[in-house]
Amino acid sequence: MTEQIQPPVLAESLSALMDNQASELEIQRLLKALDASPELKSTWSRYQIASAGLKGELPVIASSDFASRISAAIDAEETYTLKPQAALQPEANQADSGNVVVMPLRWWQQAGRVAVAASVAGALIVGVQQYQTVAPQTAEFAVNNAVSAPVAATETKAANLPSGINAPALSARTVAVQSGYESRPQENRRVMFVPRQEAAPIYNEDVSTYVNQLIQEHTDNASINSGQGMLPYTRVILVEEE
Amino acid sequence: MLTPLFIRPVLFVFPLLVSLNLHAQDVVVTSSQAQSNITQSQEVTKLLQKMASIPHTLNYQGSFTYQHKDNPSLQSFRVIHWVQDGIEHERLQHLNGPEREFLRSGKAIGCASLGDQLLQGKIGQLGANLARMDQLYKFEIRGPERVAGREATALLALPLDTYRHSSLLTIDNETGLVLKSWLVDESARPLERYQFIDLDLSPDVDSIRQQPAAKLQRSATAQISECNPSDLKQSEHWRLAWVPPGFAFAGQRQVRDHIDMMMYTDGLTTFSVFVELATGAIPEGVASRGATLAVMDSLVHQGKSYRITVVGEIPVVTAQKIAQNINGL
Repeated sequence: MTEQIQPPVLAESLSALMDNQASELEIQRLLKALDASPELKSTWSRYQIASAGLKGELPVIASSDFASRISAAIDAEETYTLKPQAALQPEANQADSGNVVVMPLRWWQQAGRVAVAASVAGALIVGVQQYQTVAPQTAEFAVNNAVSAPVAATETKAANLPSGINAPALSARTVAVQSGYESRPQENRRVMFVPRQEAAPIYNEDVSTYVNQLIQEHTDNASINSGQGMLPYTRVILVEEE
Repeated sequence: MLTPLFIRPVLFVFPLLVSLNLHAQDVVVTSSQAQSNITQSQEVTKLLQKMASIPHTLNYQGSFTYQHKDNPSLQSFRVIHWVQDGIEHERLQHLNGPEREFLRSGKAIGCASLGDQLLQGKIGQLGANLARMDQLYKFEIRGPERVAGREATALLALPLDTYRHSSLLTIDNETGLVLKSWLVDESARPLERYQFIDLDLSPDVDSIRQQPAAKLQRSATAQISECNPSDLKQSEHWRLAWVPPGFAFAGQRQVRDHIDMMMYTDGLTTFSVFVELATGAIPEGVASRGATLAVMDSLVHQGKSYRITVVGEIPVVTAQKIAQNINGL
C-alpha cells in the first residue's frame, strides 16, 4: 500500500523519470513495473499531482484516472483515417474481414459503457417523498406496459445503489427483446427520479410529465445556445399532448 | 523541473493493456504537441468560430444515429437545414418508430445567439467579467478523423472545473458542422453520443419544402432571445446568486402560461431554470434521462412557496448548487 514495498531501484527510476533523467532502459523497466504494480502507479500519480500543484495546473490533472478513462473510451472507439498503402496490399481482403469480426466486440464494449446492462428505452422513473401515493400510479403504469413484472424488480434492484442518475439502467429486463427493438414513445417518456430522501428511483407520472415538458422548453435554449443546431431535440420525447 | 514529456500522466497510469510501442509513439506526439501549442490554440479558435457561424448559412441534409446512457437502442434521425430569403428553416425527423418531427424556422441569417457569440470568443463587448472559453475548457485537437465520408477534426473539450461535462466534438473541416459528438460525465461515462452517417450539402430544397410534415410534430421556437446581444442582461424576477464561471444569462420567457424560465449558456453547455408558484406538495430530488438532468427544489419567497427546477446537461452538483442559490427579487 505504501512506497516502502517498492524496490528502491524503481523508486529512484521513477523520480528520475519525473525529472526527465531516466534512461531508455529505466523507462522500459518502469513501464513494465507500472502494469504489474498498483502501488507504483499511485506513487507516480501522486508525484504528478504534487508537481501539477506546484505548477498551478491542478484542476486539469487532479483527476488522472478520469483522463485515462476518457482516453481509454476514445481509443476503444473505432476511428477511421486514411490508411496510406496498407489497404492495397494483397492480404487486404483478409484484413478487412478481420475488421468485420473485431468490430462488434468493440462495439459491445462501448455499448456497455453507454448503456450499462439493460433498461427500458430511456426510462423516466420518478420518485416522490410520499411513497404510498406512488403505488397506484405504478400499478396503472404496469397495466399499460406489456412487461409489467420488472417494474417492481427495478425498484428493489436499484435500492442498494448509490443515489445517482444511472441507477435504473440495471433493470434485469432483457434488452434485445423489450427495449432494443421497441420505440413506443410512451415508454420512452419515462424519466429517472431519485427523491431527496430516497436512494431508489421510483416512477411518478406527474413528475415524469412535468420534467418532460421542461426538458422540451430547455431544449429550445440548448439548441440555440450550444452550437449544435437542432440536434439537441433528439433528447425531447415527442408525444401527443393530452 | 519538468519537461513537456510528462504533461500527460494519462499515458503512464494507463491500464494494463498498453504496449511499449504505443508509449514510444505517444512520447513523440506529446513533445511535438507542446511545441505547437500556440498554433493549436489558433486552430481551436478557428474551429469553434466555424462551428458557430457557417452551418447557419448552409443548405444541408444529413442522417445521424443517436444513443444515450439510459437507452441501449440506437435511434436514427434526419436533419434538414435550408436558407430561404435570409431565413433559416430546419426539420428534425425521427427515422425509427412512429413518424415524428420537429420543425423550426424564422431565425434570420446573421442573428447570432449569445451561445454563438461565446463560441466565437466575442466576449469583448459583453463585459469583462465573463471567462473566455479557453479559461473554462482545456481544448485538445485529437487529430484528423473521417466521419460520414468527410474530412473532419476531432476536438476534445475537458472542463477546467467540475461544474460541466466534457465533450468530444468532431467538426467538419469544410462546413464547421459537428459530425460526431460525445458528452462525457465526470466519471468518464459517455452520457450520449451521436454520429452522422451521411451529409448532403446540396439537397433538393424545393422538394423538401413540399414534403408534408409528420402528423406528430412540434414547431420549435426559433427566436427565444435577442440577436447579437451587445451586453449581458440580468433576469428580472429571480436572481441566481451562483452560477458556474463563464455562464451568461441568455434571456428569459414565460412557458406553459405560468412558469418563469431563465436561460444560461457558456457557449457549449446550457442550463435553464424554471420557477413557478406551487400549489401543493413540491417533489424534491433529481430526475434524469440521458444527458439531461432536472434538479427539483422549493423556495419560499415573501410567504409563498415556489417550485424550482434546474434543467440542463450539467453535473448534479452544479444543478443542486444553482437551485440552492436562487433568490426572489
